[in-house]
Amino acid sequence: MHLSTSSKAVRAPQMRGKQRPSKAGRYLGQAAQYLALVVLACIMLFPFYWMVASSVKQPNELGAIPPIWWPANPTTAPYKTVFEVIPFARSLLNSVIVTVVSTAGILVTSIMAGYVFAKHNFPGKNILFVAVLATMMIPQFVMLIPLYRMMNSLGLVNTYPGLILPNLATGFGIFLMRQFIAGIPDELLEAARIDGASEWVVLRRVVVPLLRPASLALILFAFVFQWNNFLWPLTVVYSQDMSTVVLSLNSLRTYTSSVAFTNIVMAGAVIGILPSVILMLWIQKYFIEGISMTGIKA
Amino acid sequence: MKARIASRAATAGFLTPGMALLAVFVVVPILLTAWISLHSGSLIMSYSEMPWVGLHNYAVIFQQPTFRTTLLNTFFYSLANLIIIVPLAVLLGIFLFQSTIRGRGVLRTLLFIPYMIPNVAIAIVWGYLYAPQYGPLNQILGWLHIPPQDWLASVHQAMFSLIILNVWQTLGYYVVLVVAGLTEIPRDYYEAAAIDGASWFQQQVHLTIPLLRRSLAFITVILTINTLQIFDPVYVLTQGGPIDATNVVAFNMYQNAFNFGHAGLASAMAMVLLAVVLLLSLAQLRLFKSI
Repeated sequence: MHLSTSSKAVRAPQMRGKQRPSKAGRYLGQAAQYLALVVLACIMLFPFYWMVASSVKQPNELGAIPPIWWPANPTTAPYKTVFEVIPFARSLLNSVIVTVVSTAGILVTSIMAGYVFAKHNFPGKNILFVAVLATMMIPQFVMLIPLYRMMNSLGLVNTYPGLILPNLATGFGIFLMRQFIAGIPDELLEAARIDGASEWVVLRRVVVPLLRPASLALILFAFVFQWNNFLWPLTVVYSQDMSTVVLSLNSLRTYTSSVAFTNIVMAGAVIGILPSVILMLWIQKYFIEGISMTGIKA
Repeated sequence: MKARIASRAATAGFLTPGMALLAVFVVVPILLTAWISLHSGSLIMSYSEMPWVGLHNYAVIFQQPTFRTTLLNTFFYSLANLIIIVPLAVLLGIFLFQSTIRGRGVLRTLLFIPYMIPNVAIAIVWGYLYAPQYGPLNQILGWLHIPPQDWLASVHQAMFSLIILNVWQTLGYYVVLVVAGLTEIPRDYYEAAAIDGASWFQQQVHLTIPLLRRSLAFITVILTINTLQIFDPVYVLTQGGPIDATNVVAFNMYQNAFNFGHAGLASAMAMVLLAVVLLLSLAQLRLFKSI
């Protein structure tokens, strides 16, 4: 399957015009590029460094003026305390449940609908697909009040179904899968159909096995979006024991008004970002393919 | 014939779950928000009991100085991000794509990671970076002989602080989009330009930028949609303050709905912002098409 990615792309033109710069000039150019790279990397890393460093500082180091850059006696106690001051383990469990179920839902609904939009024909298909794309442009908070009322009238406020239900299908997921499935040759599907395979079997046995990269990309997008989501949990959850990790981080911040507790908040933040960071580092290649795919071939 | 009927059934069967969910949880709520915006009542009053008030809610919010402020703040936030991020993303995209030095891949990952991380965690960390006394940013400014700033605590700087935070967090995503666009430009174009004696700089201005037009259009639209919805960092860091300096439409709407119980007013605000998002996106797409 053809994917447009930077890694597979034609090598870029070198940074030079017609005249070759002198040897010294080239070294200077390289040095400047490395300098830019290092400066940018430091800017990107610094907030993470500060988060981790603050999470292992002693309480008296946290309020020091000027700030202490290198904790003298690093402590892991805040990583224990954060589980004691709030039910953080429960929040982690809640986040995992909500994220896994919605990600699975998004994957299934997106593959099925994406397959139809890519390989089936029916009257009104294009209009329906444009409508699906349009849902991607709608800000989340435009739906907020009716969604809250809906969950309230169904008695689903502060429950897992309340957190999960609105997040089982996304226009983005359907779009992403349609883009990938459109790249699968029709002959493959026809061959299976001639052998008597039903559409369900074609989807399961022919299409889905080819969708590994696309599925990983979508899983990542969906996982990260659900894990990071703040607005909907903030709206539909009101008790500590139903809080997601992100909600707990928010409440941690309000708990700890004193600077001496900063290390606890930071320890919570470090734990809260870990799943996203690990997933990102693990399968970032598919991620970036997904972005390129939906971003440019739109 | 039988196969065709089976296929029709498959089309409907595969499509129904996704379409039904989008209809129930996206399309219907948008219509209901529009409906509520024309009625008055509390957040949980049943639909049948809400009295019709016509465009009264819209008249009320546009008379509120707070709502006008939040509209202006939101526009300002969006525009400032656009002006800062688009040129930076193009510059960094070209750098990452064309440079041959080692460590480019690492930088791309580093740029991209903050985009994947909970806004709330990032806001919390930046809140400490910005802390006027025990935060490191003022210390760094001190080394450069710049006096300490109030950052989020200042009426004049709070909005800029949120903008810097967003640039740091989302730049990498737009860089990836630029790089994806760059891979689509055929290499021959550059070779032809080089043979004609175009310098590296001329190649970028006359080849890269015009050929990136489609990517730039997409980036502009996405960035506008994303920034007009700003909510998380405002909720976590400033709660709209100091003195409404960072109050934005989404936050004001949330407060009206869930803290003050003005469902009608909040829905009207949501509809106004939805209209702004859609009109601006369409206008931007038009604009890029006509260039």
